[in-house]
Amino acid sequence: MAYAYLFKYIIIGDTGVGKSCLLLQFTDKRFQPVHDLTIGVEFGARMITIDGKQIKLQIWDTAGQESFRSITRSYYRGAAGALLVYDITRRDTFNHLTTWLEDARQHSNSNMVIMLIGNKSDLESRREVKKEEGEAFAREHGLIFMETSAKTASNVEEAFINTAKEIYEKIQEGVFDINNEANGIKIGPQHGATNATHAGNQGGQQAGGGCC
Amino acid sequence: MLTRVKSAVANFMGGIMAGSSGSEHGGGGGGCGGSDLPLRFPYGRPEFLGLSQDEVECSADHIARPILILKETRRLPWATGYAEVINAGKSTHNEDQASCEVLTVKKKAGAVTSTPNRNSKRRSSLPNGEGLQLKENSESDGVSCHYWSLFDGHAGSGAAVVASRLLQHHVAEQLQDLVEILKNSAVLPPTCLGEEPETTPAPSRTLTRAASLRGGVGAPGSPSAPPTRFFTEKKIPHECLVIGALESAFREMDLQIERERSCYNISGGCTALIVVCLLGKLYVANAGDSRAIIIRNGEIIPMSSEFTPETERQRLQYLAFMQPHLLGNEFTHLEFPRRVQRKELGKKMLYRDFNMTGWAYKTIEDDDLKFPLIYGEGKKARVMATIGVTRGLGDHDLKVHDSNIYIKPFLSSAPEVRVYDLSKYEHGADDVLILATDGLWDVLSNEEVAEAITQFLPNCDPDDPHRYTLAAQDLVMRARGVLKDRGWRISNDRLGSGDDISVYVIPLIHGNKLS
Ligand SMILES: Nc1nc2c(ncn2[C@@H]2O[C@H](COP(=O)(O)OP(=O)(O)OP(=O)(O)O)[C@@H](O)[C@H]2O)c(=O)[nH]1
Ligand SMILES: [Mg+2]
Repeated sequence: MAYAYLFKYIIIGDTGVGKSCLLLQFTDKRFQPVHDLTIGVEFGARMITIDGKQIKLQIWDTAGQESFRSITRSYYRGAAGALLVYDITRRDTFNHLTTWLEDARQHSNSNMVIMLIGNKSDLESRREVKKEEGEAFAREHGLIFMETSAKTASNVEEAFINTAKEIYEKIQEGVFDINNEANGIKIGPQHGATNATHAGNQGGQQAGGGCC
Repeated sequence: MLTRVKSAVANFMGGIMAGSSGSEHGGGGGGCGGSDLPLRFPYGRPEFLGLSQDEVECSADHIARPILILKETRRLPWATGYAEVINAGKSTHNEDQASCEVLTVKKKAGAVTSTPNRNSKRRSSLPNGEGLQLKENSESDGVSCHYWSLFDGHAGSGAAVVASRLLQHHVAEQLQDLVEILKNSAVLPPTCLGEEPETTPAPSRTLTRAASLRGGVGAPGSPSAPPTRFFTEKKIPHECLVIGALESAFREMDLQIERERSCYNISGGCTALIVVCLLGKLYVANAGDSRAIIIRNGEIIPMSSEFTPETERQRLQYLAFMQPHLLGNEFTHLEFPRRVQRKELGKKMLYRDFNMTGWAYKTIEDDDLKFPLIYGEGKKARVMATIGVTRGLGDHDLKVHDSNIYIKPFLSSAPEVRVYDLSKYEHGADDVLILATDGLWDVLSNEEVAEAITQFLPNCDPDDPHRYTLAAQDLVMRARGVLKDRGWRISNDRLGSGDDISVYVIPLIHGNKLS
């Protein structure tokens, strides 16, 4: 499908915080109650509209478990946005945010937009991390912040879309070099002449080619 | 001439780099025919990965190079592990392909068989395992056969995609006629179909001189005249029929690609490495530079050898010597340690011909100034400055750049087949067969792969359904490495593989259970 831009996202954070569930809720509007440990990387995609423009989000859901850390780290590169997720019912997942952030800052491009997400907001009774703590952490590190529930879908759309809005604004401001794919942004086929190569990549197979 | 071939190399590489799958037939030079035709199969990743179009798009990220593995919900036979990663930018697509399935090989209706089961009962009581298979399999009509395949495409993804979809059907077809013969493991395959097979079990088949002079060893007093016996008759064991079937399957696949080229766009060529598990034995058939090794109790058992311009030098030189027109008057079949210069005419220089592994001196003549048939060392060795792999499927349109010289006559679709008898060993959960494309083996030695596996698997829960996939992912990660300032790096700061990398980790313990 035609899009004006494609943004690549990555979802990171401790195991079990709900990364895969957030993705599933966003792409399929479903909730998965059992924890299927992600053991590598999984992908999702969805089209959204910002400022009247079709934007395709390409989302990489990574493995949070410690033993996959070196693989996960290697996927930061070339992402325009990151969702850094913790679980409001488990303080340790909040405590580990600094490590995740350091990792992300070290291995990604400096313009990457990071959205901090306190997930499982439906579990108010088991809350261990106050919303204010999340807000404070985000302010301190220059992140956007939201609390979400992958179960009730509360704020899930907003989390993904607000991140895209932030990226879109940065593009408008000229912060991103959109011709460098390492920034996690591609211009869609409908954008005309400069994108012949992108069109080729996206279209997959064209029967043509004219070698003769 | 020199500059022309130089540009041929550059152009060939350029073709690969550009990577638009439809148009690069390597040599170019007209007549490739395929470009306006539809694809035989659309490009995609292996079917067993079950990827959506969006996921295929994500997988083609040359910057982050995601390692694809089997999804949670997907299982391959024997809990086989699989992982792959795309190249670092040398082609748009991942030109490796793979497929894996369980084939049921059934006797073709009306096929000629004449194998009575007279001996099967007696044999099945023997504790050698053979009889057991026989019993189990004779319960159904067909024989089930596990199949794993790996292809590494070049100059386009067409041939690899086609082979990954169709080679298994050729294998099944070739085995069809053999089902009854193979199931009857107690009796050697009949030399001539339709004849009454010998009733004596294999070991005593050798005729005594006296018996053969009498004209046979038919059971004394049997009413029908015993069939004519010959003094010498080769004993062909069952596994040789399977080997023959696999060799024929490769050939048929190659011929099909050649035929279908007139109606479909089947770009490029591919190496092929397949494993077939049939009646308790593994058959590893390899044409190209992928590799299979077994790691058993930490020990490495090579199950294939690579076919490259260097390993096949003598075959190629001999062909060129016998049929010099294939060189189009542009190449010499002789090998010299370096390019010969005009000013060296008349001097004596080291060379070797098809009949030599060593070197000798010869007086340089005009003909020796031609570009060598095989040139370059190691991974850079090329046949006629064009291709670095000498066996595989496809490549029918591949020509030396800017010429009418076809490469295909020098390429062979014939695999080397090795056999491994699963029933001979008691395999543990960490004993595996590794299949991988050259992307892995270019940067990791057999020893390094074995070490990685013997470190990794014992640290994994033996009941974890993902353990072999995790091991495959670990191997791909070790070969791909991580992107640093100076490119992809692996352990000891060595250069990682920028090629497509695909790896199967096949646990052999399931082979024991199976047969
Ligand atoms: N109540 C509630 N449970 C959730 C929510 N999000 C996720 N879960 C549960 O938390 C568990 C883990 O969710 P996943 O999405 O698989 O966790 P993950 O972050 O992907 O974990 P890894 O793949 O190991 O990195 C599952 O059992 C989910 O059902 C939520 O918003 N509310
Ligand atoms: Mg997950």
